[in-house]
Amino acid sequence: MSASASGAAEPGRPPGMSGRPPAERSPGAAPVVAGGRLSQPTGWWGMVLFLCAEGTLFGSLMATYFYLDFIAHRWPPKGIAPPGVVLPLIATAGLITTSLPLLLAVRASRLGRRRRVLGLISLAVLIQLGYVAGQVLLFRHDLRQFQPNGSAYGSIYFTLLGAHHAHVVLGILLELGVLGHVLRRGLRNYWLIGVRSVALYWHVVNALAILVVLTQLSPSL
Amino acid sequence: MSATATTGARPHLDRLGRVWEERPGLLGWLTTTDHKRIGILYFFTALAFFAAGGVEALLIRTQLIGPNGHVLSPAAYDEVFTMHGITMIFLFVIPMTTGAFGNYLIPLMIGARDMAFPRMNALSYWIYVASGIFMYVALVQGHAPNAGWFDYVPLASKQFSPGNNIDFYGYGLIFNGISSTAASINFIVTIFKLRAPGMSLNRMPLFCFAFLAVAFALLFALPSLSIAAVFLELDRQLGFHFYDAAHGGDPLLWQNLFWIFGHPEVYIIILPAFGIATSIIPAFAHRKMVFFPLVALAELLVAFLGFGVWLHHMFTVGYATLTTVYFAAASLIIVIPSAIQLFAWITTILTGTPVFKTPMLFIIGFIVYFIIGGLSGITLAAIPFDQQVHDSYYVIAHFHFVIFGAAVFPILGGMYFWFPKLTGRMYHEGVGKLSFWLTFLGTLITFFPMHIVGILGMPRRNYTYPPGLGWTLLNFIETLGSYLLTAGLVLIVLNLLISRFRGPEAGDDPFDGDTLEWSLSSPPPPYNFAVIPTISSPYPMWDKEDREADRQRLERGEGLLDAGHLTPATTAQDAVADEILSMPAYSIWPLASAVTLAGVFSMLLMGHFFIALGFIVLGVLAVFAWHHREVAAG
Amino acid sequence: MLVLSLAGGGLITGCSPQSILSTHSPQAHNIALLWWWMLGAAVIVFAGAVVLLVVAYFRRGVAGLPFVGEREGIAQSMVLVFGIAVPAVALVILFSVSDIYLIRQTAPPAPNSTRMTVEVIGHQWWWEVRYPGSAAVTANEIHIPARTRVNVVATTADVIHSFWVPGLNRKIDMVPGRRNRVLLYASSPGVYRGQCSQFCGLQHAHMSMYVVAQRPAAYRAWLAANAAPASAPASAAQRAGQAQFLADQCSSCHMIRGTAAAGLIGPDLTHVASRMTLASAEIPNRPAWLAAWIRNPQAIKPGDRMPDLGLSARQVSSLVAYLDSLR
Ligand code: HEA
Ligand code: HEA
Ligand code: HEC
Ligand code: CUA
Ligand SMILES: [Cu+2]
Repeated sequence: MSASASGAAEPGRPPGMSGRPPAERSPGAAPVVAGGRLSQPTGWWGMVLFLCAEGTLFGSLMATYFYLDFIAHRWPPKGIAPPGVVLPLIATAGLITTSLPLLLAVRASRLGRRRRVLGLISLAVLIQLGYVAGQVLLFRHDLRQFQPNGSAYGSIYFTLLGAHHAHVVLGILLELGVLGHVLRRGLRNYWLIGVRSVALYWHVVNALAILVVLTQLSPSL
Repeated sequence: MSATATTGARPHLDRLGRVWEERPGLLGWLTTTDHKRIGILYFFTALAFFAAGGVEALLIRTQLIGPNGHVLSPAAYDEVFTMHGITMIFLFVIPMTTGAFGNYLIPLMIGARDMAFPRMNALSYWIYVASGIFMYVALVQGHAPNAGWFDYVPLASKQFSPGNNIDFYGYGLIFNGISSTAASINFIVTIFKLRAPGMSLNRMPLFCFAFLAVAFALLFALPSLSIAAVFLELDRQLGFHFYDAAHGGDPLLWQNLFWIFGHPEVYIIILPAFGIATSIIPAFAHRKMVFFPLVALAELLVAFLGFGVWLHHMFTVGYATLTTVYFAAASLIIVIPSAIQLFAWITTILTGTPVFKTPMLFIIGFIVYFIIGGLSGITLAAIPFDQQVHDSYYVIAHFHFVIFGAAVFPILGGMYFWFPKLTGRMYHEGVGKLSFWLTFLGTLITFFPMHIVGILGMPRRNYTYPPGLGWTLLNFIETLGSYLLTAGLVLIVLNLLISRFRGPEAGDDPFDGDTLEWSLSSPPPPYNFAVIPTISSPYPMWDKEDREADRQRLERGEGLLDAGHLTPATTAQDAVADEILSMPAYSIWPLASAVTLAGVFSMLLMGHFFIALGFIVLGVLAVFAWHHREVAAG
Repeated sequence: MLVLSLAGGGLITGCSPQSILSTHSPQAHNIALLWWWMLGAAVIVFAGAVVLLVVAYFRRGVAGLPFVGEREGIAQSMVLVFGIAVPAVALVILFSVSDIYLIRQTAPPAPNSTRMTVEVIGHQWWWEVRYPGSAAVTANEIHIPARTRVNVVATTADVIHSFWVPGLNRKIDMVPGRRNRVLLYASSPGVYRGQCSQFCGLQHAHMSMYVVAQRPAAYRAWLAANAAPASAPASAAQRAGQAQFLADQCSSCHMIRGTAAAGLIGPDLTHVASRMTLASAEIPNRPAWLAAWIRNPQAIKPGDRMPDLGLSARQVSSLVAYLDSLR
């Protein structure tokens, strides 16, 4: 720490690197490292940028939705009822609550509270699994109403939802990965960053979930 | 540092060498995570694809050498020009610039020991190779994509292209996009976090600014292409209707999505060239770049503004005049940052002490052709004129001047410029100059007449043309030019190939370069920097006292970071020393993951969706194994 | 370079049938004018920049410029002037002239602002031409009265094509789901060549057409003649040919008004003999070529939608006799 402080004092003249022990070689000390950091770690940056790409991806999807909406004279087309509002909104509300346990999990991980981290993440996973189950049911219900290959509306409707669900599933996989590693090897710096990145991923996916559901329901709102 | 390495430093260097050693032989190349070796892999792969794309170009030109040519059948011609475009753009230029030059040089220029995510770096490479092979399998089978590189629907729809040619295109580009996305994330984090302590953003070489801009542009442009390709495959495979006007879709949706990617893409192609120019010019003009901050800003601006002009590729689709006019204005505004850079280069040369060695000659060629291509670009932003020459050879002329003349020339110059650094040997100056003039004249003779033939009304993508329209002579000249051009390019390759073995010793810093890579031995050691260098300006090599300070710290064995794969991370803006990262060692899992991904896309292509799912599971396992090793190493 | 572009200029003006610079309408003429001005300006800008480089070359190895030296201030102001000021001015001028003023002329005609409308429908790989308010239908040959503003409605029956007659006006794409329009005006009678300029598949290279601008009287006569049904076969050979045509698959793709042949896949052949060319301006309309086409269209336009029907020499000659009578 002192090392980098002196670095801050006079940028350009790097401090003797011997100052602090490299993170990876001090297993239990992850929180210390985290505390000592002046700026975000590389892993965090990686996730942020990945999420930028993901955000753009969903941006194009939603843009496509409204583009097709705009050029259509009837949206949704004849024979397709506007989507029901209540269930999707409830499901989404449920999903976004998972940001809270993940937020707390990050806090706990910085204090090195391994148990709590495991518990909170597992809680989030449970809620999200419930969400996926619910969405699968809604999806099947919609499929009985209209098909993706029936009209452009169906195409973008199911593609948008499908993409969203895929991201939820990916997020759950990431959480399981982190859980596994933290369980096996404890809260080392690498997985501390892992926890933070996964939490970040979920905050963004949840934010996107709101936009997605609003897009999906726009004809009924 | 070997040049300055004295007895005092030896033991330290040996120890670092042992720490960063990779596996020997072929296995070493398959498992490498060393950004330099990955860069070299990128280089040769991209060069091979350049050769392939070039051969396709020569087929095109030979077919068009005279009216009613019969070298290629209509079907073959369509596949050849499509593959030419795809190869040159996705498999040559981008991998060559970001993959080869960026990978090899950026860590060296910012004083880092590797990229931020070394294994993801390897992954990007292997995915790139796999996607390239994927698309060329199609060509070998005779099912290559054949609807042009922008692949307009409905021609590309199942109805009008029933074969799987287009599926190779769709899946191939999604596949390839994953590689570029991973690479761009890697570049941004590397540039933000791994700069040597003291290299605050305003002390970062312009080369790195250019690549930063490229990485951001790629990151935000690619999703649009991937989505477009996903829609395309959903339409083709599962009968969705995104692009089907009869069912509420719209063919223009594809065009918009493609060009929202496609235009930023063209600046993604040119920006690395700008970066290379800004690192060659100071070295040969013996002068710092004029107006550094403005040039840096302009580099970022070009990438940013490039997102607001895509519709200038669609001036003739029948949109309302007002819409098109907005995009014409945007296209013209982009000229300003380009002009700023152009004249920054020129005045730097003008007011410096220029010497015109081979690399510099290629930069001069680049400047000249960038002006020609840029000016023709301006004329295309004049809507009424564009509506005349759109999809004619005038456009072909425009973008070959900006792409081949402006984007590829610096690549060639850069090959000469950094050749001594990579090999420790010097190329042959005389042959170098000759190769420049051949390439320069070849380019002019090949592409300049295309302006005229376009104005005489020759549409592009014609597998043949009738006599009597005034096109015959010009096409003949173009074809001859392309042969001359080829001679020049082959001469470059030969020059470097032979010099690699016969060339004289080059030393560490033959050109009195200004950036850090010249402080290293040629070729650089696996750990790049024995001591993390001192930085106090964007021209570290010209700050002699800093280099001397480094040498003394090496003598004292101070700040070596030799306990494992260690490299310092700094704060994103001011580059204050923050923490010390331990980099992962070599690993086979990037390769493995890329292979599983290749399996996924091949199965999708053949329509075996469940086997594809199986490969996805394998992929997840591979990623898990990859991290398993991580923790063990840590 | 300068020489080259002038040489280019010389070559261009040595006019060629499809050049955008051999113009026959005010629209095309003004666009050509725009081009010449842009070329002039570009040559000046280019020359200026190259001069700077040449100076640099002759002072190679010498530090800085005479008087100026390496002074940063001078260099920077050069960048500001040439890099921002000059381009800004040039671009504002270009923008106002081309994208504010000239664009009005190339914009599609205001609805009902023209006295007549022609519908051009792109097919792989030929052009269908219809005259609303008249039974006349033809292919690959657009007859219009000279000195009359004509509103062309450009649509497509399959993929995207692009309608382009460089000597008369800008091009316009034919996009599924859109009814694009473009103004066609010929200031003097004549025949003007056009070609599809959006890649549309195997025979994109052979999808040309002619615009025939006629004196109004001649045009009206042509329209009346073309609106009429096909003349009945006169000679025995022609009768055999008609029988053949109706019996064979021909009629499943081609229409001959006044007969049972009502196919819609290929061009309307009611007055095929009155056209100058066949197969979208690929071959001249002479009996020999017609025979060659009927015998094996795939040899002339590989991949074309008209199949090789494997007809005997006799069948072909009778078909030719019949079709050639359809003036
Ligand atoms: C390296 C890639 C590259 C670059 C840098 C550019 C640069 C530019 N391009 Fe180009 N372009 C392409 C690659 C590129 N282009 C490709 C591949 C296509 C076709 C794709 C396809 O259809 O297959 C295309 C097509 C294309 C079109 C569509 C044509 C059509 O299909 O009808 C247009 C239209 O506006 C256009 C405009 C421009 C403009 C205004 C610039 C500007 O950025 C140029 C700026 C530079 C200069 C202007 C020169 C230097 C400045 C000066 C000399 C200062 C003095 C200037 C003045 C005084 C005015 N380009
Ligand atoms: C980076 C992009 C790039 C590059 C470098 C080139 C390079 C060349 N291109 Fe083209 N081109 C495109 C991008 C590019 N092109 C695109 C995007 C299109 C549009 C496609 C479409 O319409 O869909 C196009 C289209 C296009 C056409 C129009 C086709 C048509 O519309 O019908 C033509 C015609 O002449 C052409 C010619 C050439 C020629 C002669 C070269 C020459 O410069 C090539 C010279 C290179 C070589 C001859 C290679 C030499 C080999 C080596 C140096 C390696 C040796 C090493 C080993 C053996 C390992 N290109
Ligand atoms: C399967 C459809 C099909 C059948 C069957 C067919 N044609 Fe055609 N024909 C076409 C199409 C499509 C074209 C337009 C070709 C082009 O220009 O690309 C065409 C063009 C022509 C032309 C040239 C018209 C012009 O003005 O350019 C003639 C003449 C012709 N066909 C005669 C015949 C005769 C005679 C037969 C029967 C022996 C026949 N066709 C059978 C589809 C068909
Ligand atoms: Cu129709 Cu090209
Ligand atoms: Cu563009």
